[in-house]
Amino acid sequence: MVLEGFSLNGNTALVIGAAGPIGRAIAVALAEAGADVAVATTTRAQREEVAANSCANEIWVLNRRGFAQAIDAAAEADVRALVERAVSELGRLDILVNAHDLPYAKPFAGVTPEEWRRVLDVNLTGVYLACRAASAPMLERGAGRIINVISLLAERGMVNGAAYCAAQAGVMNLTRALALEWARSGVTVNAIGAGWTEGMAFLDDEDARRQMERYLPAKRLARPEEIAGIAVYLASDAAEYLTGQVVWLDAGALSHV
Amino acid sequence: MGVLDRLRLDGRLAIVTGAGRGLGRAMALALADAGCDIVAAARTRPQIEETAEAVRALGRRCLVVPTNVTDPASVEAMADAAAAEFGRIDVLLNNAGGATAGMGKPVDEITDEEWRLGIDTNLSGTFYCCRAVIPHMLAQGGGKIINVTSGFGLRGGRDNFMYTSSKAGLINFTRSLSMTYADRNIQANLIAPGLFPHDNPAMVEWWRGGKFVPMGRLGRDEELGPLCVFLASDLSSGMNGGILALEGGGLAGGHAPTGFAPVVPLERET
Repeated sequence: MVLEGFSLNGNTALVIGAAGPIGRAIAVALAEAGADVAVATTTRAQREEVAANSCANEIWVLNRRGFAQAIDAAAEADVRALVERAVSELGRLDILVNAHDLPYAKPFAGVTPEEWRRVLDVNLTGVYLACRAASAPMLERGAGRIINVISLLAERGMVNGAAYCAAQAGVMNLTRALALEWARSGVTVNAIGAGWTEGMAFLDDEDARRQMERYLPAKRLARPEEIAGIAVYLASDAAEYLTGQVVWLDAGALSHV
Repeated sequence: MGVLDRLRLDGRLAIVTGAGRGLGRAMALALADAGCDIVAAARTRPQIEETAEAVRALGRRCLVVPTNVTDPASVEAMADAAAAEFGRIDVLLNNAGGATAGMGKPVDEITDEEWRLGIDTNLSGTFYCCRAVIPHMLAQGGGKIINVTSGFGLRGGRDNFMYTSSKAGLINFTRSLSMTYADRNIQANLIAPGLFPHDNPAMVEWWRGGKFVPMGRLGRDEELGPLCVFLASDLSSGMNGGILALEGGGLAGGHAPTGFAPVVPLERET
Protein backbone atom coordinates (compact mmCIF):
# COMPACT_ATOMS: atom_id res chain seq x y z
CA MET A 1 0.00 0.00 0.00
CA VAL A 2 1.63 3.19 -1.17
CA LEU A 3 0.23 5.32 1.65
CA GLU A 4 1.91 3.22 4.33
CA GLY A 5 5.26 4.61 3.19
CA PHE A 6 4.23 8.03 4.52
CA SER A 7 3.46 6.85 8.04
CA LEU A 8 5.82 7.95 10.80
CA ASN A 9 4.61 5.39 13.34
CA GLY A 10 7.45 4.42 15.65
CA ASN A 11 9.60 7.39 14.64
CA THR A 12 10.81 10.16 16.90
CA ALA A 13 11.40 13.76 15.91
CA LEU A 14 12.97 16.90 17.33
CA VAL A 15 11.69 20.25 16.07
CA ILE A 16 13.73 23.33 16.96
CA GLY A 17 11.91 26.62 16.43
CA ALA A 18 8.51 25.16 17.30
CA ALA A 19 7.34 28.44 18.79
CA GLY A 20 7.05 29.92 15.31
CA PRO A 21 4.06 29.17 13.10
CA ILE A 22 5.93 26.94 10.67
CA GLY A 23 7.88 24.93 13.25
CA ARG A 24 4.71 24.44 15.25
CA ALA A 25 2.69 23.22 12.25
CA ILE A 26 5.46 20.80 11.30
CA ALA A 27 5.71 19.40 14.84
CA VAL A 28 1.97 18.80 14.99
CA ALA A 29 1.86 17.25 11.51
CA LEU A 30 4.72 14.86 12.33
CA ALA A 31 2.81 13.81 15.44
CA GLU A 32 -0.40 13.36 13.43
CA ALA A 33 1.56 11.15 11.03
CA GLY A 34 2.58 8.96 13.97
CA ALA A 35 5.85 10.31 15.37
CA ASP A 36 6.74 11.17 18.95
CA VAL A 37 7.91 14.78 18.87
CA ALA A 38 10.09 16.89 21.13
CA VAL A 39 9.99 20.63 20.53
CA ALA A 40 12.31 23.48 21.42
CA THR A 41 12.44 27.24 21.11
CA THR A 42 14.88 29.30 19.08
CA THR A 43 15.60 31.76 21.90
CA ARG A 44 14.87 31.90 25.61
CA ALA A 45 12.23 34.62 25.15
CA GLN A 46 9.30 33.83 27.43
CA ARG A 47 6.66 34.10 24.70
CA GLU A 48 8.55 31.40 22.79
CA GLU A 49 8.58 29.11 25.83
CA VAL A 50 4.83 29.58 26.23
CA ALA A 51 4.26 28.79 22.54
CA ALA A 52 6.50 25.70 22.67
CA ASN A 53 4.64 24.40 25.74
CA SER A 54 1.34 24.84 23.97
CA CYS A 55 2.74 22.98 20.95
CA ALA A 56 3.78 20.10 23.20
CA ASN A 57 0.25 20.05 24.60
CA GLU A 58 -1.11 19.64 21.11
CA ILE A 59 1.25 16.70 20.58
CA TRP A 60 0.07 15.03 23.81
CA VAL A 61 -3.54 15.50 22.76
CA LEU A 62 -2.68 13.44 19.67
CA ASN A 63 -1.54 10.69 22.03
CA ARG A 64 2.12 11.03 21.13
CA ARG A 65 5.01 11.40 23.51
CA GLY A 66 7.13 14.54 23.58
CA PHE A 67 8.32 17.49 25.60
CA ALA A 68 8.99 21.18 25.22
CA GLN A 69 12.26 22.82 26.15
CA ALA A 70 13.38 26.44 26.08
CA ILE A 71 16.86 26.83 24.61
CA ASP A 72 19.10 29.39 23.03
CA ALA A 73 19.61 27.65 19.69
CA ALA A 74 22.95 29.42 19.28
CA ALA A 75 24.34 27.96 22.53
CA GLU A 76 26.19 24.71 21.99
CA ALA A 77 25.58 23.37 25.50
CA ASP A 78 21.83 24.01 25.18
CA VAL A 79 21.61 22.19 21.86
CA ARG A 80 23.69 19.23 23.01
CA ALA A 81 21.61 18.83 26.17
CA LEU A 82 18.41 19.07 24.12
CA VAL A 83 19.45 16.29 21.76
CA GLU A 84 20.58 14.11 24.67
CA ARG A 85 17.22 14.60 26.37
CA ALA A 86 15.34 13.77 23.17
CA VAL A 87 17.30 10.56 22.67
CA SER A 88 16.98 9.48 26.30
CA GLU A 89 13.27 10.34 26.73
CA LEU A 90 12.02 9.26 23.32
CA GLY A 91 14.43 6.34 22.91
CA ARG A 92 15.98 7.34 19.59
CA LEU A 93 16.08 10.20 17.10
CA ASP A 94 14.94 9.72 13.51
CA ILE A 95 13.97 13.21 12.39
CA LEU A 96 15.48 16.63 13.06
CA VAL A 97 13.64 19.73 11.89
CA ASN A 98 15.54 23.00 12.07
CA ALA A 99 12.91 25.71 11.93
CA HIS A 100 15.12 28.30 13.63
CA ASP A 101 13.86 31.73 12.86
CA LEU A 102 15.17 35.00 14.20
CA PRO A 103 13.72 37.64 11.88
CA TYR A 104 15.85 40.73 11.49
CA ALA A 105 15.61 43.74 9.18
CA LYS A 106 17.60 46.96 9.33
CA PRO A 107 19.37 49.21 6.83
CA PHE A 108 22.76 47.60 6.30
CA ALA A 109 24.86 50.62 7.30
CA GLY A 110 23.32 50.51 10.77
CA VAL A 111 23.85 46.80 11.41
CA THR A 112 26.36 46.51 14.25
CA PRO A 113 28.86 43.63 14.35
CA GLU A 114 27.01 42.31 17.42
CA GLU A 115 23.67 42.29 15.62
CA TRP A 116 25.21 40.65 12.55
CA ARG A 117 26.76 37.93 14.70
CA ARG A 118 23.53 37.27 16.57
CA VAL A 119 21.51 36.89 13.36
CA LEU A 120 24.12 34.54 11.88
CA ASP A 121 24.59 32.71 15.20
CA VAL A 122 20.94 31.82 15.61
CA ASN A 123 19.82 31.34 12.00
CA LEU A 124 22.93 29.63 10.60
CA THR A 125 25.27 28.46 13.36
CA GLY A 126 22.27 27.21 15.33
CA VAL A 127 21.46 24.85 12.46
CA TYR A 128 25.08 23.72 12.35
CA LEU A 129 25.01 22.95 16.08
CA ALA A 130 21.77 21.02 15.81
CA CYS A 131 22.95 19.02 12.79
CA ARG A 132 26.19 18.18 14.55
CA ALA A 133 24.53 17.03 17.76
CA ALA A 134 21.65 15.14 16.15
CA SER A 135 23.65 13.50 13.39
CA ALA A 136 25.76 11.49 15.83
CA PRO A 137 22.96 9.05 16.79
CA MET A 138 21.62 9.09 13.22
CA LEU A 139 24.95 8.19 11.61
CA GLU A 140 25.50 5.52 14.23
CA ARG A 141 22.19 3.86 13.29
CA GLY A 142 22.65 4.53 9.57
CA ALA A 143 19.29 6.27 9.27
CA GLY A 144 17.98 9.76 9.73
CA ARG A 145 16.12 12.68 8.22
CA ILE A 146 17.19 16.29 8.58
CA ILE A 147 14.82 18.98 7.32
CA ASN A 148 15.93 22.61 7.37
CA VAL A 149 13.25 25.24 7.02
CA ILE A 150 14.67 28.20 5.15
CA SER A 151 13.20 31.38 3.75
CA LEU A 152 12.86 32.35 0.11
CA LEU A 153 15.30 35.07 1.14
CA ALA A 154 17.96 32.34 0.82
CA GLU A 155 17.45 32.68 -2.92
CA ARG A 156 16.43 36.33 -3.30
CA GLY A 157 17.67 39.50 -1.69
CA MET A 158 15.58 41.99 0.26
CA VAL A 159 16.06 45.63 1.13
CA ASN A 160 17.17 45.91 4.78
CA GLY A 161 17.56 42.12 4.96
CA ALA A 162 21.28 41.60 4.32
CA ALA A 163 22.13 39.71 7.50
CA TYR A 164 19.01 37.54 7.37
CA CYS A 165 19.45 36.82 3.64
CA ALA A 166 23.08 35.82 4.17
CA ALA A 167 22.19 33.48 7.01
CA GLN A 168 19.36 31.82 5.07
CA ALA A 169 21.55 31.28 2.01
CA GLY A 170 24.11 29.72 4.33
CA VAL A 171 21.60 27.17 5.59
CA MET A 172 20.55 26.38 2.01
CA ASN A 173 24.03 25.41 0.94
CA LEU A 174 24.81 23.74 4.26
CA THR A 175 21.86 21.51 3.36
CA ARG A 176 23.36 20.54 -0.01
CA ALA A 177 26.86 19.95 1.33
CA LEU A 178 25.68 17.76 4.21
CA ALA A 179 23.40 15.83 1.88
CA LEU A 180 26.38 14.85 -0.23
CA GLU A 181 28.59 14.11 2.74
CA TRP A 182 26.03 11.76 4.26
CA ALA A 183 24.51 10.43 1.04
CA ARG A 184 25.77 6.91 1.73
CA SER A 185 25.08 7.00 5.46
CA GLY A 186 21.31 6.69 5.31
CA VAL A 187 20.84 10.28 6.49
CA THR A 188 19.05 12.58 4.06
CA VAL A 189 19.27 16.36 4.36
CA ASN A 190 16.72 18.56 2.61
CA ALA A 191 15.34 22.05 2.95
CA ILE A 192 11.86 23.45 2.68
CA GLY A 193 11.95 26.95 1.28
CA ALA A 194 9.10 28.86 2.87
CA GLY A 195 7.70 31.90 1.15
CA TRP A 196 5.66 34.63 2.79
CA THR A 197 3.63 32.64 5.28
CA GLU A 198 0.70 33.32 7.61
CA GLY A 199 1.93 34.27 11.06
CA MET A 200 5.38 35.51 10.03
CA ALA A 201 6.73 38.41 12.06
CA PHE A 202 7.74 40.21 8.87
CA LEU A 203 4.05 40.47 7.97
CA ASP A 204 2.76 41.95 11.23
CA ASP A 205 2.23 45.20 9.40
CA GLU A 206 -1.16 45.13 7.68
CA ASP A 207 -0.02 47.25 4.72
CA ALA A 208 2.99 45.02 4.09
CA ARG A 209 0.74 42.00 4.19
CA ARG A 210 -1.81 43.41 1.72
CA GLN A 211 0.96 44.46 -0.65
CA MET A 212 2.43 40.96 -0.48
CA GLU A 213 -0.92 39.30 -1.20
CA ARG A 214 -1.35 41.45 -4.32
CA TYR A 215 2.14 40.57 -5.52
CA LEU A 216 1.99 36.80 -5.04
CA PRO A 217 0.69 34.71 -7.96
CA ALA A 218 -1.54 32.74 -5.58
CA LYS A 219 -2.97 36.05 -4.28
CA ARG A 220 -2.60 34.78 -0.75
CA LEU A 221 0.11 33.92 1.75
CA ALA A 222 1.37 30.36 2.18
CA ARG A 223 -0.08 28.49 5.16
CA PRO A 224 2.02 26.73 7.80
CA GLU A 225 0.00 23.49 7.37
CA GLU A 226 0.95 23.40 3.70
CA ILE A 227 4.62 23.56 4.60
CA ALA A 228 4.05 20.83 7.19
CA GLY A 229 2.68 18.53 4.49
CA ILE A 230 6.01 18.62 2.68
CA ALA A 231 7.82 17.94 5.95
CA VAL A 232 5.79 14.77 6.48
CA TYR A 233 6.74 13.53 3.03
CA LEU A 234 10.44 14.38 3.44
CA ALA A 235 10.52 12.74 6.88
CA SER A 236 8.96 9.51 5.69
CA ASP A 237 10.34 6.29 4.22
CA ALA A 238 8.75 7.36 0.94
CA ALA A 239 11.47 9.99 0.46
CA GLU A 240 14.49 7.76 1.04
CA TYR A 241 16.06 8.60 -2.36
CA LEU A 242 15.47 12.35 -2.06
CA THR A 243 18.38 14.34 -0.65
CA GLY A 244 20.11 17.68 -1.08
CA GLN A 245 16.98 19.33 -2.40
CA VAL A 246 15.23 22.59 -1.61
CA VAL A 247 11.47 22.23 -1.92
CA TRP A 248 9.86 25.64 -2.26
CA LEU A 249 6.44 26.46 -0.95
CA ASP A 250 6.13 30.12 -1.71
CA ALA A 251 2.70 30.89 -3.22
CA GLY A 252 4.52 31.25 -6.53
CA ALA A 253 6.94 34.00 -5.49
CA LEU A 254 10.00 32.36 -7.03
CA SER A 255 8.26 31.72 -10.34
CA HIS A 256 8.32 35.49 -10.83
CA VAL A 257 10.96 37.17 -12.93
CA MET B 1 -8.94 14.78 9.16
CA GLY B 2 -5.43 13.55 9.88
CA VAL B 3 -2.47 14.61 7.86
CA LEU B 4 -2.06 11.16 6.26
CA ASP B 5 -5.72 11.08 5.19
CA ARG B 6 -5.04 14.13 3.03
CA LEU B 7 -2.95 11.87 0.78
CA ARG B 8 -5.98 9.79 -0.22
CA LEU B 9 -7.20 10.16 -3.81
CA ASP B 10 -10.50 8.27 -3.58
CA GLY B 11 -12.97 9.16 -6.28
CA ARG B 12 -10.50 11.18 -8.34
CA LEU B 13 -9.41 10.64 -11.90
CA ALA B 14 -5.84 10.88 -13.16
CA ILE B 15 -4.65 10.89 -16.75
CA VAL B 16 -1.22 9.31 -17.00
CA THR B 17 0.57 9.63 -20.32
CA GLY B 18 3.27 7.12 -21.12
CA ALA B 19 1.51 4.78 -18.71
CA GLY B 20 2.50 1.60 -20.52
CA ARG B 21 5.78 0.96 -18.81
CA GLY B 22 8.61 2.25 -16.66
CA LEU B 23 7.96 5.25 -14.48
CA GLY B 24 4.57 5.95 -16.03
CA ARG B 25 3.31 2.50 -15.16
CA ALA B 26 4.77 2.70 -11.64
CA MET B 27 3.22 6.11 -11.01
CA ALA B 28 -0.17 5.06 -12.43
CA LEU B 29 -0.24 2.08 -10.08
CA ALA B 30 0.74 4.23 -7.09
CA LEU B 31 -2.05 6.70 -7.87
CA ALA B 32 -4.50 3.82 -8.18
CA ASP B 33 -3.24 2.35 -4.92
CA ALA B 34 -4.02 5.69 -3.24
CA GLY B 35 -7.60 5.50 -4.54
CA CYS B 36 -7.51 7.14 -7.95
CA ASP B 37 -9.14 5.95 -11.17
CA ILE B 38 -6.80 6.08 -14.15
CA VAL B 39 -6.84 6.96 -17.81
CA ALA B 40 -3.83 5.15 -19.25
CA ALA B 41 -2.64 6.96 -22.35
CA ALA B 42 0.30 5.82 -24.47
CA ARG B 43 1.01 4.78 -28.00
CA THR B 44 1.27 1.03 -27.57
CA ARG B 45 -2.08 -0.56 -26.73
CA PRO B 46 -0.84 -3.94 -25.42
CA GLN B 47 1.37 -2.20 -22.85
CA ILE B 48 -1.35 0.09 -21.52
CA GLU B 49 -3.74 -2.88 -21.45
CA GLU B 50 -1.28 -4.52 -19.06
CA THR B 51 -1.15 -1.39 -16.90
CA ALA B 52 -4.96 -1.28 -16.94
CA GLU B 53 -5.15 -4.89 -15.72
CA ALA B 54 -2.86 -4.03 -12.82
CA VAL B 55 -4.94 -0.92 -11.99
CA ARG B 56 -8.16 -2.98 -12.02
CA ALA B 57 -6.52 -5.58 -9.78
CA LEU B 58 -6.24 -2.75 -7.22
CA GLY B 59 -10.00 -2.22 -7.45
CA ARG B 60 -9.93 0.96 -9.52
CA ARG B 61 -11.37 1.78 -12.90
CA CYS B 62 -9.04 2.25 -15.83
CA LEU B 63 -9.74 3.54 -19.32
CA VAL B 64 -7.23 2.64 -22.01
CA VAL B 65 -6.77 5.33 -24.66
CA PRO B 66 -4.03 4.81 -27.24
CA THR B 67 -2.59 8.30 -27.66
CA ASN B 68 0.23 10.00 -29.50
CA VAL B 69 1.07 13.08 -27.42
CA THR B 70 2.85 14.73 -30.36
CA ASP B 71 -0.46 14.82 -32.23
CA PRO B 72 -2.84 17.53 -30.90
CA ALA B 73 -5.91 15.80 -32.37
CA SER B 74 -5.03 12.53 -30.66
CA VAL B 75 -4.55 14.36 -27.35
CA GLU B 76 -7.87 16.24 -27.63
CA ALA B 77 -9.67 12.97 -28.33
CA MET B 78 -8.05 11.37 -25.30
CA ALA B 79 -9.05 14.22 -22.96
CA ASP B 80 -12.62 14.16 -24.31
CA ALA B 81 -12.80 10.38 -23.83
CA ALA B 82 -11.56 10.76 -20.24
CA ALA B 83 -14.10 13.46 -19.42
CA ALA B 84 -16.92 11.54 -21.11
CA GLU B 85 -16.16 8.35 -19.19
CA PHE B 86 -15.45 9.79 -15.74
CA GLY B 87 -17.07 13.24 -15.80
CA ARG B 88 -13.98 14.87 -14.32
CA ILE B 89 -10.19 15.13 -14.63
CA ASP B 90 -8.45 15.81 -11.33
CA VAL B 91 -4.85 14.98 -12.12
CA LEU B 92 -2.81 15.22 -15.31
CA LEU B 93 0.53 13.43 -15.15
CA ASN B 94 2.53 14.32 -18.24
CA ASN B 95 5.00 11.49 -18.16
CA ALA B 96 5.28 10.62 -21.87
CA GLY B 97 8.69 11.51 -23.21
CA GLY B 98 12.27 10.45 -23.13
CA ALA B 99 15.33 10.18 -25.29
CA THR B 100 14.65 10.40 -29.01
CA ALA B 101 16.58 9.80 -32.24
CA GLY B 102 19.59 12.09 -32.46
CA MET B 103 20.48 11.85 -28.76
CA GLY B 104 24.24 11.45 -28.53
CA LYS B 105 25.02 13.63 -31.53
CA PRO B 106 26.85 16.96 -31.48
CA VAL B 107 24.65 19.83 -32.55
CA ASP B 108 26.17 20.17 -36.02
CA GLU B 109 25.00 16.66 -36.92
CA ILE B 110 21.40 16.91 -35.70
CA THR B 111 18.78 16.94 -38.46
CA ASP B 112 15.63 19.06 -38.52
CA GLU B 113 13.53 15.94 -38.05
CA GLU B 114 15.51 14.81 -34.99
CA TRP B 115 15.27 18.25 -33.42
CA ARG B 116 11.50 18.49 -34.00
CA LEU B 117 10.85 14.98 -32.76
CA GLY B 118 12.75 15.63 -29.51
CA ILE B 119 11.02 18.94 -28.81
CA ASP B 120 7.61 17.59 -29.86
CA THR B 121 7.89 14.50 -27.69
CA ASN B 122 9.05 16.15 -24.50
CA LEU B 123 7.81 19.74 -24.64
CA SER B 124 5.00 20.15 -27.16
CA GLY B 125 3.34 16.92 -26.01
CA THR B 126 2.97 18.34 -22.51
CA PHE B 127 1.62 21.60 -23.93
CA TYR B 128 -1.00 19.75 -25.99
CA CYS B 129 -2.09 17.70 -22.97
CA CYS B 130 -2.34 20.77 -20.71
CA ARG B 131 -4.29 22.70 -23.34
CA ALA B 132 -6.74 19.84 -23.71
CA VAL B 133 -7.21 19.13 -19.99
CA ILE B 134 -7.13 22.56 -18.32
CA PRO B 135 -10.64 23.59 -19.54
CA HIS B 136 -12.05 20.52 -17.78
CA MET B 137 -10.14 21.39 -14.60
CA LEU B 138 -11.34 25.01 -14.70
CA ALA B 139 -14.93 23.88 -15.20
CA GLN B 140 -14.83 21.61 -12.14
CA GLY B 141 -12.99 24.13 -9.95
CA GLY B 142 -9.38 22.97 -9.95
CA GLY B 143 -6.87 20.23 -10.55
CA LYS B 144 -3.29 19.06 -10.30
CA ILE B 145 -0.76 18.97 -13.10
CA ILE B 146 2.47 17.04 -12.68
CA ASN B 147 5.12 17.46 -15.35
CA VAL B 148 8.21 15.31 -15.59
CA THR B 149 11.52 17.08 -16.08
CA SER B 150 15.00 15.75 -15.40
CA GLY B 151 18.34 16.68 -13.91
CA PHE B 152 19.16 17.36 -17.56
CA GLY B 153 16.55 20.11 -17.47
CA LEU B 154 18.68 21.86 -14.85
CA ARG B 155 22.14 21.00 -16.15
CA GLY B 156 23.55 20.60 -19.63
CA GLY B 157 24.85 17.38 -21.10
CA ARG B 158 27.47 16.69 -23.72
CA ASP B 159 25.88 15.65 -27.04
CA ASN B 160 22.51 16.06 -25.39
CA PHE B 161 20.44 18.81 -27.02
CA MET B 162 16.80 17.99 -27.64
CA TYR B 163 16.42 16.30 -24.28
CA THR B 164 18.10 19.05 -22.21
CA SER B 165 16.37 21.85 -24.13
CA SER B 166 12.91 20.34 -23.90
CA LYS B 167 13.25 19.34 -20.24
CA ALA B 168 14.50 22.85 -19.38
CA GLY B 169 11.61 24.28 -21.38
CA LEU B 170 9.19 22.21 -19.31
CA ILE B 171 10.43 23.86 -16.14
CA ASN B 172 9.55 27.37 -17.19
CA PHE B 173 6.41 26.18 -18.96
CA THR B 174 5.28 24.73 -15.64
CA ARG B 175 6.21 27.87 -13.68
CA SER B 176 4.13 29.93 -16.07
CA LEU B 177 1.25 27.46 -15.72
CA SER B 178 1.48 27.78 -11.95
CA MET B 179 1.30 31.57 -12.10
CA THR B 180 -1.48 31.66 -14.68
CA TYR B 181 -3.88 29.36 -12.84
CA ALA B 182 -2.80 29.94 -9.23
CA ASP B 183 -5.98 31.84 -8.41
CA ARG B 184 -8.19 29.17 -10.00
CA ASN B 185 -7.02 26.26 -7.89
CA ILE B 186 -4.87 24.46 -10.44
CA GLN B 187 -1.44 23.57 -9.10
CA ALA B 188 1.32 22.64 -11.52
CA ASN B 189 4.55 21.11 -10.27
CA LEU B 190 7.49 19.17 -11.64
CA ILE B 191 9.21 15.99 -10.66
CA ALA B 192 12.77 15.35 -11.75
CA PRO B 193 13.58 11.65 -11.53
CA GLY B 194 17.23 10.68 -11.47
CA LEU B 195 18.42 7.43 -13.03
CA PHE B 196 15.74 4.73 -12.96
CA PRO B 197 16.67 1.52 -14.83
CA HIS B 198 13.20 -0.11 -14.45
CA ASP B 199 14.74 -3.51 -13.60
CA ASN B 200 16.44 -3.52 -16.99
CA PRO B 201 19.86 -5.17 -16.52
CA ALA B 202 21.31 -3.38 -19.55
CA MET B 203 20.41 0.01 -18.06
CA VAL B 204 21.80 -0.99 -14.65
CA GLU B 205 25.03 -1.97 -16.37
CA TRP B 206 25.08 1.22 -18.47
CA TRP B 207 24.74 3.35 -15.34
CA ARG B 208 27.26 1.20 -13.44
CA GLY B 209 24.71 0.31 -10.81
CA GLY B 210 24.63 3.96 -9.77
CA LYS B 211 28.01 3.89 -8.08
CA PHE B 212 28.67 7.49 -9.21
CA VAL B 213 25.38 8.70 -7.73
CA PRO B 214 26.07 10.31 -4.32
CA MET B 215 23.71 7.89 -2.62
CA GLY B 216 25.51 5.03 -4.34
CA ARG B 217 22.56 3.44 -6.06
CA LEU B 218 20.03 3.87 -8.85
CA GLY B 219 16.40 4.79 -8.27
CA ARG B 220 13.70 2.18 -7.81
CA ASP B 221 10.45 2.58 -9.72
CA GLU B 222 8.40 2.16 -6.56
CA GLU B 223 10.10 5.22 -5.06
CA LEU B 224 8.53 7.57 -7.58
CA GLY B 225 5.00 6.46 -6.79
CA PRO B 226 4.77 8.12 -3.37
CA LEU B 227 6.18 11.39 -4.75
CA CYS B 228 3.54 11.38 -7.45
CA VAL B 229 0.79 10.61 -4.93
CA PHE B 230 2.02 13.46 -2.73
CA LEU B 231 1.90 15.96 -5.59
CA ALA B 232 -1.53 14.71 -6.72
CA SER B 233 -2.98 14.96 -3.22
CA ASP B 234 -4.36 17.70 -0.99
CA LEU B 235 -1.29 17.36 1.23
CA SER B 236 0.69 19.33 -1.38
CA SER B 237 -2.08 21.85 -2.03
CA GLY B 238 0.13 24.87 -1.31
CA MET B 239 2.91 23.73 -3.60
CA ASN B 240 2.79 25.36 -7.02
CA GLY B 241 5.46 25.85 -9.68
CA GLY B 242 7.95 23.76 -7.73
CA ILE B 243 10.41 21.02 -8.62
CA LEU B 244 10.93 17.88 -6.59
CA ALA B 245 14.02 15.99 -7.67
CA LEU B 246 14.24 12.36 -6.61
CA GLU B 247 17.75 11.46 -7.65
CA GLY B 248 19.95 10.37 -4.79
CA GLY B 249 21.76 13.69 -4.30
CA GLY B 250 23.41 14.30 -7.69
CA LEU B 251 22.05 17.79 -8.21
CA ALA B 252 23.16 19.06 -4.81
CA GLY B 253 26.79 18.91 -5.90
CA GLY B 254 26.43 20.67 -9.20
CA HIS B 255 27.54 17.54 -11.02
CA ALA B 256 24.58 15.46 -12.00
CA PRO B 257 25.62 12.76 -11.85
CA THR B 258 29.05 13.21 -10.28
CA GLY B 259 31.98 12.70 -12.58
CA PHE B 260 30.03 10.86 -15.22
CA ALA B 261 27.89 12.06 -18.06
CA PRO B 262 25.54 9.24 -18.98
CA VAL B 263 23.92 9.19 -22.37
CA VAL B 264 20.52 7.61 -22.06
CA PRO B 265 20.18 4.74 -24.54
CA LEU B 266 17.61 5.35 -27.23
CA GLU B 267 14.07 4.45 -26.41
CA ARG B 268 11.57 5.14 -29.10
CA GLU B 269 8.36 4.39 -27.25
CA THR B 270 6.74 7.00 -25.10
